[in-house]
Amino acid sequence: MKFFDLLRLVITNLNRRKARVGLTAIGVVIGTGAVVILVSLAIGLQMNANEQLYGIGDLSQIYVYPAYGGGGEVFISPRGGGGGGGGTQDIKLLTNSALQELGALPSVVAVIPREFLQANSVISYKKLQTYTGMFGVGTNDLADFGLKAEQGTTQLSRSTIVIGSRVAQNFMDFNLRPGQEPPPPPDLYDQQIQLTIFKYDDQGNEIRKNYSFRVAGVLSEAGSEADYSIYLPLEQVKVMNEWANNTRINYNKTGYNEVIVKVENPDKTLEVRDQIIALGFQANTMLDFVQGINNFYQILQVVLGGVGAIALLVAAIGIANTMAMSILERTREIGLMKAVGATNRDVLSLFLGEAAGIGFIGGLGGVLVGWLLGQMLNVVAIVYLAQQAAQQGGIPPSVAVYTPIWLPIFVLAFSTFIGMLSGLYPALRAATMIPVLALKYE
Amino acid sequence: MGGTTVRALDGVDIEIPEHTFTVVMGPSGSGKSSLLYLLGGLDRPTAGEIIVNGQRLDLMDENALALFRRKTMGFIFQSFNLVSSMSALENVAFPMQFAGITASQRNEKSKVLLTQVGLADRSDHKPSELSGGQQQRVAVARALINDPLLILADEPTGNLDSQSGTTVMQMLADLHKAGRTVLVVTHDARMTRFATHKIFLLDGRVVSEAEYQSAALQPLQP
Repeated sequence: MKFFDLLRLVITNLNRRKARVGLTAIGVVIGTGAVVILVSLAIGLQMNANEQLYGIGDLSQIYVYPAYGGGGEVFISPRGGGGGGGGTQDIKLLTNSALQELGALPSVVAVIPREFLQANSVISYKKLQTYTGMFGVGTNDLADFGLKAEQGTTQLSRSTIVIGSRVAQNFMDFNLRPGQEPPPPPDLYDQQIQLTIFKYDDQGNEIRKNYSFRVAGVLSEAGSEADYSIYLPLEQVKVMNEWANNTRINYNKTGYNEVIVKVENPDKTLEVRDQIIALGFQANTMLDFVQGINNFYQILQVVLGGVGAIALLVAAIGIANTMAMSILERTREIGLMKAVGATNRDVLSLFLGEAAGIGFIGGLGGVLVGWLLGQMLNVVAIVYLAQQAAQQGGIPPSVAVYTPIWLPIFVLAFSTFIGMLSGLYPALRAATMIPVLALKYE
Repeated sequence: MGGTTVRALDGVDIEIPEHTFTVVMGPSGSGKSSLLYLLGGLDRPTAGEIIVNGQRLDLMDENALALFRRKTMGFIFQSFNLVSSMSALENVAFPMQFAGITASQRNEKSKVLLTQVGLADRSDHKPSELSGGQQQRVAVARALINDPLLILADEPTGNLDSQSGTTVMQMLADLHKAGRTVLVVTHDARMTRFATHKIFLLDGRVVSEAEYQSAALQPLQP
């Protein structure tokens, strides 16, 4: 039997029982519609989350830390210091030679140590004060981190600092009386700000040290910790840390606390991360985080798709029932088909085709319904989420429910397949009927 | 069924020559329909051989039997067995779909056959819009669509009034005259007028016409 003859016969037969086919297909519409809308919702959420995550950090950066051994205790045994006693555990320190080792890895474009200011500190500008993270970085140019300047420069020099885009907003007047309007965020560019660090002597007396810096640059919004950070040269932070902690720091001995490795593009990040771990350091990237989130949303898609698939399963039982009934009613017709020369395969194809047809019709309806509902939900949800974003701060979403082109195609193919699968048992029964019994069926 | 074995046909040994008009007579339950279905390859014997046109039907698998029926057999049934959703023309053309013949060829041949059975003007009518006699004529046209070697008719006049029955009988006789081999299973004694060969069945056995007549005339037991 030719394919187009089969198709025409399938359409004719489905057309014969419009009401029944329609009612059965409604079940499929609900199932496939549910799959489309739920998976679209999960995809929309993922896109939304990715939008929010965008700029959380440069995805081509790897944060490298010394690898401390397990067990909670840290034993320091510098490399090459032969004959460390039994029981000590080697840890790989981020010394300058280690930095060279990291820099030699393929695809690595920069290796930059970064140190926190490890001291009690307060930053003042006129009457305003703030407490925020201060980093000393082993580079003269923050552009190495992928950061850009909104005002001034990304270049660091002695007695200048570069501040993140939101640092100014965090300056507050702590002497403000209740009810008094807070002052607007100051424009700090090219202004002098004061840094005071504290330490305590053995008697518990506070000792202060003051520094004055000119703000040489304000960074563009990065959507990451850089927005709330103040950057200054590494050497400067080292001196402050030494003063505050009464120690001498020799990075060749103790290593850096943190090193940022920048690779040529984010595609190489995970590969280089693995190589760094293989060298014995701890390393993580924002890409891990983003991928973790993406994995979560992929699982969410499967779970939500599964919920929709349950409705589709119920619909599949409906198709099987409709086909079983249809075959019972058309037993004599099946007998006739066989009498006039239809093979078992012809009969099987016809009934499988009819079952698949119900799946297809339902799938088509489901895709349309799911897509339309998704669009409606999009309109409502975007308005709501934008309001939320306006109230709480953050990036308003551009999409809430997103139906990629592959989804309707997949759902349509899947519902057709499910229809066919549901019709398999009834169709097999039809195909294997003994012609004479089918013809005599009353 | 019910653990009792019923022999529908027992020890039947018949030969139907080509280009004959054979009428199989017998009362209900005599096995005449079973004989027709066995000859047509719609049923399988539990024992014995069926040879049609040199081919052993009892040895064929389902697929081979379907192809055999498509090429060799034309069936006419008591209850017409037309597909209710199809027009007369589509019903006539129906068997050709399984042979992979193109739609235009199917329609052309179906129109010729409908004209031959006098229903050219009813080709677009559904079975429900046709009388019993007309429906059976459509069925006759359908039986001829694949140019079969053998036409098998199971009580073709059973559901028809006398006038329509005669028309159908005449039609079958004409087919025989045109050189086809026809086998009709019937209660209708009028059919024997056209027969070149007669087979009488009683309780699954082939009997002589005399034995058949005497059994038919036997008075009922009180």
